[in-house]
This record gives sequence, C-alpha cells and structure tokens, in this order.
Amino acid sequence: MNTMSARLRNRWVWRALVIVVAILLLAAPLFLPVFANQTLIRIGVYAVAVLGLNIVMGYTGQVNLGQIFFLGLGAYAAAYGVTHDWNVVLVFVAACVIPGVVGLLVALAAARLGGLAIAMVTIALPIVGVPLAKRLSGLTGGSQGTSARFSSAPDWTGLYNDQWQFYIVLVVAAAAFLLARNLVRGKFGRALVAVRKNEAVAASMGVSPYRYKVLAFTIASILGGVSGFLYLVAVQYTSPETLSFGHSIALVAAMVIGGAGRITGSLLGGAYYVFVPQLTNAIDPNLTAVSQGLILLAVLFLLPGGLVSLPRVIGRLTRRPSARPSQEDSPQTPPAQHPSTDSAQA
Amino acid sequence: MGTFIQLVVDGLSTGSIYAALALAIVLVNQATGLINFAQGGMAVLSAYIAYSFVRLGLPVLLGILAAVVVSFFIGAVVERFLIRRFERGDPDTAIVVTIGLLTLLTGVCAWIWSYDNRPFPSLFPLTSVDMFGVVVSVRSVGTTLAIIAIMVVLQLLFFGTKLGLALRAVAVNPASAAFSGLPVGRLLMVGWGLAAALGAIAGSLVAPQLSLTPGMLDTPLVYALAAVILGGLSSPIGAVVAAWAIGVLESLVAVYVPFIGHDLKIAVPFILIFVILVVRPQGLFGRKVVVRV
Repeated sequence: MNTMSARLRNRWVWRALVIVVAILLLAAPLFLPVFANQTLIRIGVYAVAVLGLNIVMGYTGQVNLGQIFFLGLGAYAAAYGVTHDWNVVLVFVAACVIPGVVGLLVALAAARLGGLAIAMVTIALPIVGVPLAKRLSGLTGGSQGTSARFSSAPDWTGLYNDQWQFYIVLVVAAAAFLLARNLVRGKFGRALVAVRKNEAVAASMGVSPYRYKVLAFTIASILGGVSGFLYLVAVQYTSPETLSFGHSIALVAAMVIGGAGRITGSLLGGAYYVFVPQLTNAIDPNLTAVSQGLILLAVLFLLPGGLVSLPRVIGRLTRRPSARPSQEDSPQTPPAQHPSTDSAQA
Repeated sequence: MGTFIQLVVDGLSTGSIYAALALAIVLVNQATGLINFAQGGMAVLSAYIAYSFVRLGLPVLLGILAAVVVSFFIGAVVERFLIRRFERGDPDTAIVVTIGLLTLLTGVCAWIWSYDNRPFPSLFPLTSVDMFGVVVSVRSVGTTLAIIAIMVVLQLLFFGTKLGLALRAVAVNPASAAFSGLPVGRLLMVGWGLAAALGAIAGSLVAPQLSLTPGMLDTPLVYALAAVILGGLSSPIGAVVAAWAIGVLESLVAVYVPFIGHDLKIAVPFILIFVILVVRPQGLFGRKVVVRV
C-alpha cells in the first residue's frame, strides 16, 4: 500500500472531520437542552486541566498529583478579580499568571529531585491548599467560598446564559488545545519526549532536563489556571472543596484513561472526568470510588495507551493477525503508550 | 518550659505514626524500587480487618496480629496480580497504578464499613503518666516504642540478614539478581507482604487516635512522604528520624507561630523541603538531611 497517499488521504479526512466537529460544536448549544450544554461546558473546563496535566505527565513523564491546586488557584484569582470589578481581560491574565508563577516556584524546587519526588511534593499542593484557602478568608471567602456571577450573556447576543458560557469555554479551550498541540509537535515537544525517554541522553544532546521539566510544569500550571478561569465561568462559584485531594487524583486518572501523551486524549479525559462520576453514582453511590478505581486499573491493564488508542487497538484486532501495521502511530503523534508496559511480564 | 517539653513529646508521638507509614514506603521502595501511594489505603484496610477481628471477640493484640498476617497475604497478592505487570515498566505508570489502588481500597473500605467514624480499641491503656513534669500518655509511649522496635528490626532485616540482602539486590538490579539465582518474583511478593504487614501495625496503632475512617491515613501519608524525601528512600533510620523531626516541628509551629496554627501545620514539612532544596540544590538524600533538620 502506498503509505504516502494514505497519509495524505488521512490528512484530508482529518481536516474534514475537524471542520464538521467545529460546525457541530458551534451549532450545538443553540439546539441542546440546558443540561447537555452544562455537561459539555464542564467537559471543556476539565479537558483544559487534563491537557496541562498531560503536558507535564504524558509528555515529560513527571507525575503531578497537584494539578487541581492550579485549577483552584486560577478560579480563586478569577473570583477575586471579578468581585473587585476588574476588567475581564485582566481577570483572565491574573488567572493565568498567578498559577503560572506558583507552578514555576514549585517546579524550580521539585524538578531538582527525581521523578518520584516530584510526585511526592505535588501531592502536598491540594492538601495544603484546602486549609490555606479556608485560612485566607479575606481573599477567598473562607469555607463558604466566593461566588462571582460575571459570565451572564450580554443582551445584544440574544443568547441564554448557558449558551454564552458554552461559547466562552469553547473559544478558550479550543485556543488552549491548539496552542498545546503546536507546542508539543515542535522542537519543544521533541525535547520533552527526549527528557521523558532518557534524561541522560537528552542532557548529552544539549537538552537540559531540568529546564524542560520546569517549563513543562509551568505550562501545565498556566493551563490549570486557565481551566480554573473556565470553571468560574461555568460554575460561578468556588470554594476550598474545588481543590480537594480526591479531585486531583481523579484528574490524574482522567488523564491516563483518556490517553497519556496524546492531545485528543485530554479531551476524552475531560469527558471521563465529567461522565463517569455521574454514571457510577447512577449505578450505586456507595460504589463510586470502587468503580473509579477499577476502571482506572482496568484501563491500565487492557489499554495502556488510554481510550484514545482504542480505535487503533480495535483496528489491529479486526485486521488479519499477520498484517502487522508498519507505522502504528500517525507520524505527528508522540508515543502514545508507555512502551515498557507490554514487556513488563518478565 | 513545661509546655515546650510537652509539645516535643506530643510531636514525637504523632511523628511515630508518620514514621510507621514512612517505613512501609521505604520497605516497598527498597524491595521494588516503587513508591506506593496506596500504602495508606492498605494500612486503613488492615486496620478495618483488625477492627472486624476485635468485633468478633478477639482480644485487641490478637486481632492486630491476625490483621498483620492477613495483610501480609493481601500485600503479596496485590504484588503478584496487580503490581507485577507494571513493575519493570515505566515508573510513572506504576505510580498511577498505586493511585488507582488507593482509590479502589478507599472505596472498598467505604463500601464495606461505610464512611462513619468507628471507635478502634487502643492496644495500650489510656492512662497518662507524669514524667519529669510532663504528662505523657501511655499510648504515645507505647506507639513510639513499637515504632523504634520495628525500625530496628527492619534495619537488621535489610542489613543483617540474607533475606534483606536479597531484597535489596532485587531492588537494585532485578536482572542480575535473577542471574545470581534469586527468586525475584517471590522476593518482590515478600517485600510487598512485609510492607503491608507493617502498614497493618501502623494502621492499628493510629486508629484509636484518629478513629477509623476510610480516609484516615490520607494526611499522615503526606507527612510520611515528606519524611521519606527528607530522610532518604534508602534509609529506614533516616525516614524515622525525619518523621519525628517533622512531628516535633509541626507540634511546635502550631503553637508558637500563630499564623500557621493547627490547620496549616501540614504545610510545615513542605516549606522545609522547599527551603532545603533551594539552599542545597543537589538535594539532600540520605542521612545528611536528617542532621540538618
């Protein structure tokens, strides 16, 4: 088979798909019921948080258990700005910059340790964050939290609030995904993968692992702040509960289940984060945690590349067993799965 | 001065709880090269098992011992059927596996025993004794002594026995260990089993103080991880001393630094780590850390 033309065709199919999806997304809020819109909004919010986590964990290989802290920080920064009548652009900038600076400081210290220690340091962020948010009640409203109603639809649009919020989230999330996609496809992305694969080799080729780890962590924190801003757009309220430890774990699970090291995996991760608790709650609220743990472990066992690798796996299974695909990934995507998990049965 | 000594003693006793978890983390790490974030969850499950034995009418000590035995097997089974698939793979995947395990175990505990607080009988009498003008509860002294004993046993195990040597060999280089004829798989199971058994002791010692809930050890786990960072992953003594230092420090800071107080004292170990890392960028693994703390 001529792989070149297949790729070309693939690209056109891909572009057509993107356009169709874009049109669907633009039209969807006008027809969908409010609840569906709100669900899609929340998927967008968490997809951006998972996207940040994916850059630091999926691409750079640093386990970050504190991503929800940056979402909370962004939400609080936005809430503070809104309640003090800042311009909305300034609010957005604050929601990006404050988590970014905090993330940079944390990374400067944490990246000096090995990968395991980063996980151990970041686990502290949400656990310290919750009492801190309660304590700094002048800024955060304490345990009651603060509400900020700033994302109502302006009259000239003729839209309902949920539709307006949908478009805000859509635009910001699409921009975040596009930027992240371009980032990881370029030189920066290759450097991240090099650091992930083998720090010593990366260093010997002039790619400073420390620098790239810190950069990746900072970018992830900024994206966390962006999703915090979107969270406030969608929920219009934030409290210490927003940044609790359990949510942070759930974000990591969502990232892995969606697909580590894949941009579209983040979107699936966001959907997982929103849908699965609804689903498991509907089955039996007492079993929510059990089923979430089981789903995570099952995905790690059966589908180490995450949901995003599902089509490929199905394709491989339905094809004749002898016809091994020569190039499993499309050329632009970095390695989807943790390569070593297959050979773990030593 | 009296309060100061009292605070130090209290700090040592809470530090001992962190130390027990830290020891279990060090044990798994020494035996398998992993960090087990589910350690707290496993310890809580063990404590619930001990609780159930006691409810069935066993004396407290026997209930705890039975839980220790059961936990050993749970740990070994978890290693064999869950962790082994990921052990030699990407360490990040393995970490996520232990996180999934933590979620699962917490869920199982909540499902079987509900989220309600359960009173757990104390192994030690609940009386206090007056020592040099300081009131010390017998339970604290007992917990601390138990931790010291476990630490000594572990240190002897790792550095004084053939089993310890084999465990360390497997952790450092499983391939070479296998070539030298060591049963790598079985040693890994033993390592996890021992860590789970240790977790059972830790959970049972802590449960009377915190009262038994599925999320009981989430916060102590964070302290234990901090202790492991400060004390070094390779040194049981280092981890214990760091855990005590953290316990004492948070107890003092909670009282003497009003801004931090009781709700923010969990930030103390991490500020400490942060400062140390900034001052000494090369990192402070091993015993040197402990001296500086």
